[in-house]
Amino acid sequence: MRGRRSSRFSGIHPEGSMPVKVAVKYCGGCNPEYDRIALVEEIEEKLEGRAVFVSPGSGDGEVILAVEGCKTACADLSRFEGLPIRIITCREDAHRFIREIEDKSSR
Amino acid sequence: MTMMTAEQYEESLRHLNLKVYMFGKRVESPVDDPIIRPSMKAVAETYALAHRPEYEDIMTATSQITDKKINRFTHIHQSIDDLVKKSKMGRLLGRCTGCCFQRCVGMDALNALSIVTFNIDEKYGTDYYKRFLAYLEYVQDKDLTIDGAMTDPKGDRRLPPHKQPDPDHFLHVVEERKDGIVVRGAKAHQTGAVNSHEVIVMPTIAMREEDQDYAVSFALPSDAEGILYIIGRQSCDTRKLEKGLMDRGNLLFGGHEALVVFDHVFVPWDRVFMYREFEFAGQLVEIFASYHRQSYACKVGVGDVLIGAAQTIAEYNGTDRASHIRDKIIEMNHLNETLYCGCIACASEGHREPSGTYAVNTLLANVHKQNVTRFPYEVSRLAQDIAGGLMVTLPSEDDLRSPETGKWLEKYYRADPGVPTEHRMHVLRLIENLTLGTAAVGYLTESMHGAGSPQAQRIMIARNLNMQEKQRAAKKLCGIE
Repeated sequence: MRGRRSSRFSGIHPEGSMPVKVAVKYCGGCNPEYDRIALVEEIEEKLEGRAVFVSPGSGDGEVILAVEGCKTACADLSRFEGLPIRIITCREDAHRFIREIEDKSSR
Repeated sequence: MTMMTAEQYEESLRHLNLKVYMFGKRVESPVDDPIIRPSMKAVAETYALAHRPEYEDIMTATSQITDKKINRFTHIHQSIDDLVKKSKMGRLLGRCTGCCFQRCVGMDALNALSIVTFNIDEKYGTDYYKRFLAYLEYVQDKDLTIDGAMTDPKGDRRLPPHKQPDPDHFLHVVEERKDGIVVRGAKAHQTGAVNSHEVIVMPTIAMREEDQDYAVSFALPSDAEGILYIIGRQSCDTRKLEKGLMDRGNLLFGGHEALVVFDHVFVPWDRVFMYREFEFAGQLVEIFASYHRQSYACKVGVGDVLIGAAQTIAEYNGTDRASHIRDKIIEMNHLNETLYCGCIACASEGHREPSGTYAVNTLLANVHKQNVTRFPYEVSRLAQDIAGGLMVTLPSEDDLRSPETGKWLEKYYRADPGVPTEHRMHVLRLIENLTLGTAAVGYLTESMHGAGSPQAQRIMIARNLNMQEKQRAAKKLCGIE
């Protein structure tokens, strides 16, 4: 998984008492190499209770999950400057993200 | 309003009073007509996808006039990134609809006019660009679909417009009034014309002073007084009148073209963007054509669908592991991705025009479109090769549903025991639709002639080559001073 990791995200809810607010930002999807919607649904299902998914436009996201259809990773992330961003371009990236949230919430 | 939903778009069309004819009769409600409706649904996808977060980055842009979020189809390209996203949008929508989604031509007309109106003003001190920007703001705010109308019937191809035996074979000005102009003529092959709120008319060829009555560009509501539409036939079009859906191949979407007649139509001055400036007619044609040749990025998306269908039928037939089938699938992908290279390249090598609009690289856009005149035919040939003859000998859906004949089709047209016969029939019909049915209008013949026939691109390729630099490179290496 590529993407910036910030201490701010590492410090969120250390007790694991509150679900993490995840804002999903998609690329434009011109030629995706996998079903992005299905993968996000899978992530949501696996992180039920540990994360809540919010609109990227709401400003409530504590971490931005950039769902990119391919390694070009062209989603416009400029408005999320300063926030922790996790980029996924394939299923393996998604699994790493799931593990990261699970690890944080189980501490 | 700034971005309509698909439902709002459909509703907006119902408010138009279009004069549409098909099979010799007036179509009272084009939106509800079973032959036209799938084409409306394809345009509606351009609205629907713009509201979905997973397509937002490609389907929307920020207006350079109002700073508001708008549908990319109403956007004036402000950067190389905008040009690249336009190509990607074409592939995306071609893949989602499997047909021509019709809205690119209006976007290309807007962008071409944003350059040429500025250039005319620079030379003559006119105010076309100001008029154009006011019109553009209206289009962006209402999120309108526009028919970009360029192709005149052209009459006797040996003669220029002013020498045609029938002067209306090229659209022209017949009267100048204090408040505007009156035009007469027609535009042929107009894709998506009856799904459009507006029509932008442009001249079809470069012109000389004698042709100045024909050097005219303007925009009108599509239901303006005097405009009428005659829908073109498509192979297998009346299958859309049948009860079942399977034999359509594409169950959801389609395209349409029409002859648009302008019978003594009034155009107010604020909608006129070129009037007798004959020396700019060629520039408008060339810039529009380059944009529109880039727009054939859509055929990559349709190619994705056809390749997916070919792989699926190979699996259903049990031939997918044969080495020659695998090789044919590779070849189809090679051709399709080569097309993609062209539309991305002409965008990536674009440049800024004096008006601020970004234009595609003319040479590469023409090379791209030249490839489009050829490769979809080869991709189609390979798809038909893989599909087998059943694609054209398959009985109808009614025969499958009939208690008398259905059991025989189930028995004899089942290949892989794990695949229902009905699924095999569905994918064969889709390949038929794309390669010789209604969608072949868009995927094949439109690829050949749309945005200019093959020779038009060859002329532009020749005109934009820098042969001297190639010769200089060659001479330097072989020692010629």
